[in-house]
Amino acid sequence: MSLRKLTALAVYATLALAVYAIESAVPPLVPLPGIKLGLANVVTLILLQQYTAKDAFLVLTVRILLSALLFGQALSLLYSLAGGIVSFAVMCPSNRLLRRKLPFLTGALGGLSHNLAQLLTAYAVTSTAGVLVYLPYMAASGILAGLFTGLCAHFAGRYLIPHTK
Amino acid sequence: MENQKEYKITVVIISALLGLILTASLAAIFRPVSDGTGCIADIYQDGNLLASIPLDGKGAPYQFTVTGENGCFNEIQVCPHSIGILSADCPDKLCVNQGFIDRLGLPIVCLPNKLVIRLREADSGAVDAVAY
Repeated sequence: MSLRKLTALAVYATLALAVYAIESAVPPLVPLPGIKLGLANVVTLILLQQYTAKDAFLVLTVRILLSALLFGQALSLLYSLAGGIVSFAVMCPSNRLLRRKLPFLTGALGGLSHNLAQLLTAYAVTSTAGVLVYLPYMAASGILAGLFTGLCAHFAGRYLIPHTK
Repeated sequence: MENQKEYKITVVIISALLGLILTASLAAIFRPVSDGTGCIADIYQDGNLLASIPLDGKGAPYQFTVTGENGCFNEIQVCPHSIGILSADCPDKLCVNQGFIDRLGLPIVCLPNKLVIRLREADSGAVDAVAY
């Protein structure tokens, strides 16, 4: 990894962490756990567009671990990791399938899978089938939030200098 | 040219799939919910049924506290027609902010303390009330 790339990725990780911190400081709009915009995903989507999947995954993991270290508890790390890894596993191939052109579709798929993974984690943690009542809420909010973050990534990507080796 | 066609089909399939899931979810969210007069509140901790409280409009409001591992607690308020969490030691207080529930639908969930309060209709599964 070149020094230039390392620095760029570090800046992206800082940006993701800052966005995450600001978003978690804003009180939630809906009094349901797990429903939020997930603005930090904008950074992951931009990296998937302009860098390689490996770089995007690196920044995602650094962001999740640092945010848990700085603001979170052990349990929120579990939810973040489950959501982050599963949504990445969905976004990476779908981004390739969509030829990196339609980040809002990739984002919607990512948001959906992120929320489904977190819901399943909640099911595993509480071992109560009752949390599955949230399924439609989580699915709908995941898709809508993913569309929004995807559009953010789409427009932000226009103003960024494309990565050169 | 063939590739371009394939790409378009992929995009249409993914969009249709997402649209379908979104429509189904919204339909499930906005479906009519039966009103909860005469329903029973089940309180679960870590998946175990702790108590079943009938919300039948009789009796005065009262409070009690559910404690869990590591000394965590949720103070629960029972009203004649509704139930809610008054205070808790969890960091996010989402369960408290959810307020009181009085109809079937979303349960109150406190993930850090593994506590779930769910309403069900009084006549459905009356036997479950004694299954401790």
